[in-house]
Amino acid sequence: MAALERRHAESLSDMSLAERAALQYEVEQFLYDEAALLDARQYREWLGLLADDIHYWMPIRRTVMKGDLEFEFTKPGAMAYFDDDRVLLEMRVKKLEASNAWSEDPPSRSRHFVSNVRITEISGSDITLDACFHVYRTRLNSEIDSWIGRRTDVLRRSGTAFKLAKRHLFLDQTVILSKNMSTLF
Amino acid sequence: MAQETNGNANGWDSAAIAQLFDPKTGWLDRRVHSDEGLYRLEMERIFARSWNFMCHESQIPNPGDYFINFIGEDQVIAVRDETGKVNVLLNTCRHRGNALCRAEQGRAKSFVCSYHGWNYALDGKLIGVPGQKNYYRDDIDRSRLGLVKARVESYLGFYFATLADDAPSLYDFLGDVGRTGIGMICSYGDVEVVDGIQKNIIDCNWKIAVDNLFDWYHVAYSHASASTAGFLHLNQILHPNEQMVMLGEFGHAISGPGVPKETQDKIDALSDEERLAFPRPEQSNMIRPRRATELMGPVGVRSNGHPNIFPNLWITMGGLQICLRLPRGPSHTEFWWFTIVPKSAPPPLRKAMIQQATHIFGPAGLLEQDDGENWSQSTRSTTGYSSRKVGLALFMGLGHDHVTVSDNGQKHIDTCINEHGQRWLYRSWTEWMAARDWAELRKTRTPVPEGVV
Repeated sequence: MAALERRHAESLSDMSLAERAALQYEVEQFLYDEAALLDARQYREWLGLLADDIHYWMPIRRTVMKGDLEFEFTKPGAMAYFDDDRVLLEMRVKKLEASNAWSEDPPSRSRHFVSNVRITEISGSDITLDACFHVYRTRLNSEIDSWIGRRTDVLRRSGTAFKLAKRHLFLDQTVILSKNMSTLF
Repeated sequence: MAQETNGNANGWDSAAIAQLFDPKTGWLDRRVHSDEGLYRLEMERIFARSWNFMCHESQIPNPGDYFINFIGEDQVIAVRDETGKVNVLLNTCRHRGNALCRAEQGRAKSFVCSYHGWNYALDGKLIGVPGQKNYYRDDIDRSRLGLVKARVESYLGFYFATLADDAPSLYDFLGDVGRTGIGMICSYGDVEVVDGIQKNIIDCNWKIAVDNLFDWYHVAYSHASASTAGFLHLNQILHPNEQMVMLGEFGHAISGPGVPKETQDKIDALSDEERLAFPRPEQSNMIRPRRATELMGPVGVRSNGHPNIFPNLWITMGGLQICLRLPRGPSHTEFWWFTIVPKSAPPPLRKAMIQQATHIFGPAGLLEQDDGENWSQSTRSTTGYSSRKVGLALFMGLGHDHVTVSDNGQKHIDTCINEHGQRWLYRSWTEWMAARDWAELRKTRTPVPEGVV
C-alpha cells in the first residue's frame, strides 16, 4: 500500500506488473462497492463517494453516417441527458428518497454491472479509467430497461480511499427506449 | 396510388367518431387512446392532413444539411438544397421503397439508395439509375420518379410540412394562437436550436401527452418531488388563480399561468431597458421585450402558459424548448425535445438556459420522469375490457368561464386551473377525424368559441 501511494503520481509505464495488478484490484473493488450501493438504494452513502467537483455527464448520441462520426455525440456545453454537478446529484438523491416521487414509488429494481475496466492514465492523485457498464432495471410487474454503454471515470485518491471526480457515460442507444431514466448510472 | 379515404375502412364512421367526446358534458371515450382503427385513421386524417413541424432553420443552415423527421409514421428528410430552399422528401425509394437516408441528421451531396444505387438530388429529382442504358434499355422516365415531396412553408424560421394539397397556408393554419405560440419563442430575438435533440419512447398514447401539456392541475401533485428535491418551487410558477386560456383555429390552444392585465399594463409602459432591470421573483420568466407584443399581440403577450400547435407540437418556456410527440402505434409515443436559445444570449445566460432545459424535461428530467409513469399507466388500463368502458372526466370549469374578445380580435379566458384546453383538443380531434378532407373540415369544425365555455 505504502509503495502504491508513493508511486501513484508516476506514469503507468513506470509501474511493475505487481503494482499495476494491485492498483487494478483496488480500483475494481471501489467500482463494485459503488455499484452495490446503487443496487441497494443506499443513495445517501453513494453521495459520500463523490468528489465536490464531480462532473456527471451523458451526452446525446445520434445515428450518423461514417463521414459525420465527429457529430455522433453532442459536445460539452450542448444538450445532454445528464450534465450534473454535485448539487444536481444531491437533488436527484433527494428526489429518490422523497415519498412523493411517483416514478420511483414503488421503487425500481436495478443491477449495475461494470466490466472491461482499463486504467488509462494516472495524473497526480487522479486515476482515469475506461469501463463498460450495463444497468438493468425492472419496474412494476413487467417493465424491463437495459442500458449498456462505455464510460470514462476519474477516481481521485483521498487518503486510503477514492472519490469519484468524473463520470462520462456514452450510452449505446440513440433514441432512449425507456419512459424515463430515473436511475443513477 | 390507392388511398384510404373512408373511415368505414377502419370501422369508424363520422357518427361513431362524434360520439367519442361530448363537449356538453366533458366525457371522453377511452377508446381514443387504444383503438387500432382510430389510430390508423389518425395517420390519414390528422397527420397526413396537418402541417407538421420539421425543424428550425438553424438546424440545416447549409446546402446538403438534412434532418430526419416524421409525418405520422411516414419518415421524411428535411434538406436544404443548393439554391437554399428547404425540401421535405418522403424517405422511400421509388424503386423498391428502401429508406434513402438512415442517419438522423448530417450532410449529403445527394441521396443514394443502398439497395440498387438509385440517386436522388437534394430537391428529390431522380438523377441517376445504375444500368439505365444496359438493363432498362433507356426505357425509364426519370422525370416521373422523383421522391414524393411534401408542401413546405415556414414561420419565423420554423419549418413545417404537409402532405395535403388542399391544406390552407401555414400562416392561416397556425392562426392567431399558433402564431402567438411561435412568437413566444421568438420574442427575445432571433433564435437557434442547440445541438442535440433528446429522444425517448414512452408507452403511452400521444394524445395523453398532449392533454397533459394543458394540465396545470397535475403539476402540484405529480411533480411535488421537484419541490422536495429543491429543484424548483412549484408555487412560484403555478399561479392557480391567474390562469389564462386561448383556444385557436383547428385545435391549437394555449393554457397556463397568465400575467394579470393590470400588471401587463404596467409592463407595456416600460422600455426594453427598464424591463431588463425589472425585479422579478426567482425562477419566473424574463419579462418579454416590446417585440413580443408584435409577435403575440396585446393579449397573447400576457400568457406564460403552454401552447400546443395541433396536433403534436408543444412549446414550453421552462427552458425555451419545443417537444414533438410522434405516434408509434396507439400505445407508444416518441418524444423529441428541441432546445432553443436566443442568438443574442450572452454565454452565461445561454449556459443557464441549456442547463435548465437539460434538468427539467427529457427522460432524465426532474419533472418529466414522473409524467411517463402516469401516462403509461393511463394508457395501459385502456386495454382492460371493463376499464376501457369507464369514461374519462374532462369537465373541470365547464360552463363556468367566459371568452373575452379584445379590440384586435384576440380571444382569451381569464380563469383558475381548468380543463378548457383539453376539451378543445378532443373536440377538435373528433372534427378532424370525422372530416374526409380539408373542405369538409373547414365547413364542419367548431369556430373558436365566444361567450360562455
